[in-house]
Amino acid sequence: MNAGTELWLFAVSLGASALGGMLGMASGIFIVPILTLWGHVDIRSAIGASIVSVIACSCGSAGSFLRGRLTNVRLAILLETATTAGALCGVLLAGAIPVSYLFFILGVVLLLSAHQMLAKRRDPGLARIQAPTGRSTTWQLNSSYPDRALGREIDYRIERLPLGMALMYVAGLISALLGIGSGVLKVPAMDTALRLPIKVSSATSNFMICVTAAASAGAYFVRGNIVAPIAAPVALGSVVGAILGARFLISISNDKIRLMFVVVLVLLAAQMFVAAFGRGWFGGIA
Amino acid sequence: MNRTPIKPLRLESLLAGVLNVGTWLASTVIAAGIGLSLFYRGTTFPKSAQVMTAGIGLLILLPILRVIIMLIVFAKERDYKFAVAAAVVLLILFAGFAVGLLST
Repeated sequence: MNAGTELWLFAVSLGASALGGMLGMASGIFIVPILTLWGHVDIRSAIGASIVSVIACSCGSAGSFLRGRLTNVRLAILLETATTAGALCGVLLAGAIPVSYLFFILGVVLLLSAHQMLAKRRDPGLARIQAPTGRSTTWQLNSSYPDRALGREIDYRIERLPLGMALMYVAGLISALLGIGSGVLKVPAMDTALRLPIKVSSATSNFMICVTAAASAGAYFVRGNIVAPIAAPVALGSVVGAILGARFLISISNDKIRLMFVVVLVLLAAQMFVAAFGRGWFGGIA
Repeated sequence: MNRTPIKPLRLESLLAGVLNVGTWLASTVIAAGIGLSLFYRGTTFPKSAQVMTAGIGLLILLPILRVIIMLIVFAKERDYKFAVAAAVVLLILFAGFAVGLLST
C-alpha cells in the first residue's frame, strides 16, 4: 500500500460523495463499485470501507436536521429495532453468500436507485387529509415539523407501521450485505408505507443510517474486514465530499444532471452484472 | 417567506451536539493517521495504521453512544416504550460485536 493509493482513495471518495451530496444521495452506492472495478480492492474490504464512510456521512449531517426539528427521533428508534435486526442477519449471511451474488444484488440496487432518480418523489404527507385514527396514535409517533417554505407547522401522522418495519428490516439486511446506507430502500418504506412528508422522511432516514451501519460495522471491525489504509481515506473523503456537496446543493429538479446520474447508475449496474456473471461462468477472476 | 427561528427540542439539540463533536473528533484522528502514513511513506512506521484504526473505532462507537443517550433520556422522561426500543437496539448493536468476535 503506497501513499499514492491513499490519496487516490481520498480523492475518489471525495468526488463521489460531493456529486452524490449535490443530488441528496448517499455515496455508499458508488464507493463499492468504484473501489472494486477501478481500485481493484477486494469486494469485502470495499464493503468494510464503505460502511465506515456511511456512518461518517450520516453522523456528520444529522445535526442540522435535528436542530431544524425535521427528525422524528421516536419513530427513528422504533424503526431502528428493525433495521439493526436486519443488519445483524445481513452480517450472518454475508459470509455465506458468494461474491458473485453480492455483485448481482448491488446491480439490482443500482437499477432501483436509477429508477428512483427518474421518478420524482411526490409528497405523500401533504397530499392527504389528516384524520388522526388508527394504530400510531397510541404510540405517540405523530408529530409536526416546521416547514420553512410554507412558514408554518405541518402536522403529520404515521400509517401502516408494521409494513414500514418489515421494509426497514430488508433495508438493514441489504445495508449490511453491501456496505451501503440503503437510503434507496428506506425511501419507499417511508413514502409508501408510513406516508411521511418528504422532509421528515429524509431527515429520519439519514438519522437512522448511522445506527444501522454501526450494527454491521461493529462486526466487520472486530472481524478484521475493515482495512484501515483503505477505510480511513475513503471515510475522510466522503465526509469532506458530503460537506462540499451540500454547500453546492443543486435543485433536484435539474433534469439534465438527474439524467446524467441515471446513465451513470445504469452503467455501473451493467458493470456489476458483468462482474457477477463473469465470476459465475469463468470462475473467480481477480 | 416566514423566517421565525426554529427552537430545537432538548433531546434533539443534545444529540445534534454529540454527533457533530463526535464526527469532528473521529475525522481528526483519521486525518492524523493518514497524515502520518503520508509523512512516513516508504518507511514501515506502524503507528499510522493504529491511529487510523482508532479513528474508525471512534466513528463506530458514536452511533452506540447516541443510542445510549436516547435510552437514558427516554427512561428519565418515563417514556418507557421508547426506552425499551432503545434498549433493544443497543442489545442488537452489542450482538453485532459478539457475532464479529465469534466468527473471526
